[in-house]
Amino acid sequence: MEISNSVLEHLRHVAALPDLAATRYELESEIGRGGMGVVYRALDRQLDRHVALKVLDVPLAGEAQLIARLEHPSVVPIYETGVLPDGRCFYAMKLVSGARLDAYAAGQHTMSERLRVIRRIGEALAYAHSRGVIHRDLKPQNVMVGEFGEVYVMDWGVEAVAGTPAFRAPDASLDQLSDLYSLGGLLRFLVPASLSPAVAAIAAKAMSADPSGRYPTVTAFLADVDRFEQGLAVNAWSEPLWHRLQRFSSRNAVLLWLLAAYTLVKFLLFFLRKF
Amino acid sequence: MDADTAIGGSGGQFPSTQASLLEATASGLSGDAMNQVVNLYWKPVYRFLRFKFQKNNEDAKDLTQGFFTSVLQRDFFSRFDPAKASFRTYIRMAAERYAANQHASANRQKRGGGIDFETVEDQHIAAESPEVEFEREWRRQLFSLALDDLSTYCQQSGKQLQFAIFQDYDLTDGDRPSYADLAARHRVPETSVTNHLAWARRVLRGFVTERLRGTTSDSREFHQEMRRVWK
Amino acid sequence: MNKILVGLMFGLILGALDGATAGFYPETRPVLASILVGSSIKGMIVGLFSGWFARRVQSTKWGIVVGSSLGLLFAFIVAFLDAKQGKPHYLEIMLPGFIVGAIVGFLTQKMGSPAVVKS
Repeated sequence: MEISNSVLEHLRHVAALPDLAATRYELESEIGRGGMGVVYRALDRQLDRHVALKVLDVPLAGEAQLIARLEHPSVVPIYETGVLPDGRCFYAMKLVSGARLDAYAAGQHTMSERLRVIRRIGEALAYAHSRGVIHRDLKPQNVMVGEFGEVYVMDWGVEAVAGTPAFRAPDASLDQLSDLYSLGGLLRFLVPASLSPAVAAIAAKAMSADPSGRYPTVTAFLADVDRFEQGLAVNAWSEPLWHRLQRFSSRNAVLLWLLAAYTLVKFLLFFLRKF
Repeated sequence: MDADTAIGGSGGQFPSTQASLLEATASGLSGDAMNQVVNLYWKPVYRFLRFKFQKNNEDAKDLTQGFFTSVLQRDFFSRFDPAKASFRTYIRMAAERYAANQHASANRQKRGGGIDFETVEDQHIAAESPEVEFEREWRRQLFSLALDDLSTYCQQSGKQLQFAIFQDYDLTDGDRPSYADLAARHRVPETSVTNHLAWARRVLRGFVTERLRGTTSDSREFHQEMRRVWK
Repeated sequence: MNKILVGLMFGLILGALDGATAGFYPETRPVLASILVGSSIKGMIVGLFSGWFARRVQSTKWGIVVGSSLGLLFAFIVAFLDAKQGKPHYLEIMLPGFIVGAIVGFLTQKMGSPAVVKS
């Protein structure tokens, strides 16, 4: 059967659309493509709210159950899973509005704000690891920063099809340490090395080619980030003396100023009394 | 909602009776596997060679036929390494190599042999690269074959009405009739039009999947090519 | 350690050190011991009140303001009493006292455990 270009394009479009007639959802528009499927914006007719509907290319029935077990502020909640008449799996989840992390990174945000985002991602990872779930494909495209500053990590448990090398660990098998590698990649992505040698060192340790050279857990990584934010020495970096002094004086600036003022006053009073 | 959820199979899954290329090669490359490849790739190879080497219609046909006859032997399939490229890319490059050799030896014999475009459509298409043309033709052929499968299936299973509605809507070039028009034309309720279209599209998708499975080597390549089809 | 104890401790140490610096002035050497004791007690009182304030108000800025004010006040009392006995040394006593008070106020804000909220 001969078909023209326009008919071909039309068929490609309509045969790809999920048939939601037997579900409570009404398809509205395509939001994006990634991982193992296409994400659509859909209307939940029963609850009259919009959801994100992900239709998977491949049968990954285990994926949705895996993520549904995760209940964390930074994990997008899954409302429902199902199978389409053509055999494709889908799941309906919260529709997150906001910016993807790559767009967020390009914006004007302080180091403190960026580290806060990293911390949220890390907390979600640490929680998931404690539940036996590995992300496997953590990268900027899988993180959203919502309009209220909330952070969502998405596309859990789906192994990268065309992995983004900058964020994918060179490990033979993917586990918690390879997730940590990706988290280090995100840190490096959000906070350029030129901004802080300590942060660069934390990222480098997390991204060590040898898994045994990385932090043992995401929690240990986050602890080092916390230390950095408190002005303390980080485990990942043996800082030079001048940097240590610099850090000490910025952490104790007020005290040092007061002591300097006291010394100056005493000094002046001592020498001025002669006149 | 049409009670028929899919062709055979429980749970709405389309049963895969189609062996992958790897399986076919391993078991001695049956004629069926070869047919699958030829059916799908003849036209794309023809158009690719035609525009890449600027052949007229007849010369391109001869070249294509020569390629499929002489090159598509069993060792062609066994030499294919899915890790390096998709089968689609492999066959295109093999065709290009074959045609380049023929072209070189033919040019030694005669001069000239310029472009001979027969239709306006050909001129328009020539503006794009031969590789893009190859891929589009591959998609077109995939869908054409799947449509043939759908048509046959509908004839055999008494679903002529479904196919007719599908043909009137989805296979129409230009302005499509409204669902109300279709309902009136075929004397069915409008909801039936929606259901029949959904059914036909779903089954078409299944046939496209099967055709693709028979011309890809393993599940990884299959999934990658699936993405290319629907992207 | 709660903030009041922090205030008492640093008030004592810094007050003693402040008092000890009077040793640079030869004329005070005969009465250095009493200066040391007085300055330590002054420091402890300032520390006590600063620590009490820090338990109620978490603000580095206000901690410094309260500490320095108290330091200035008690230093004034000491300077006033000292002036009655002879040559006045208001500047030499009040200015350092003001700064030491500020330091004690700062330290009580930064260190020690705050008051626990009881339901």
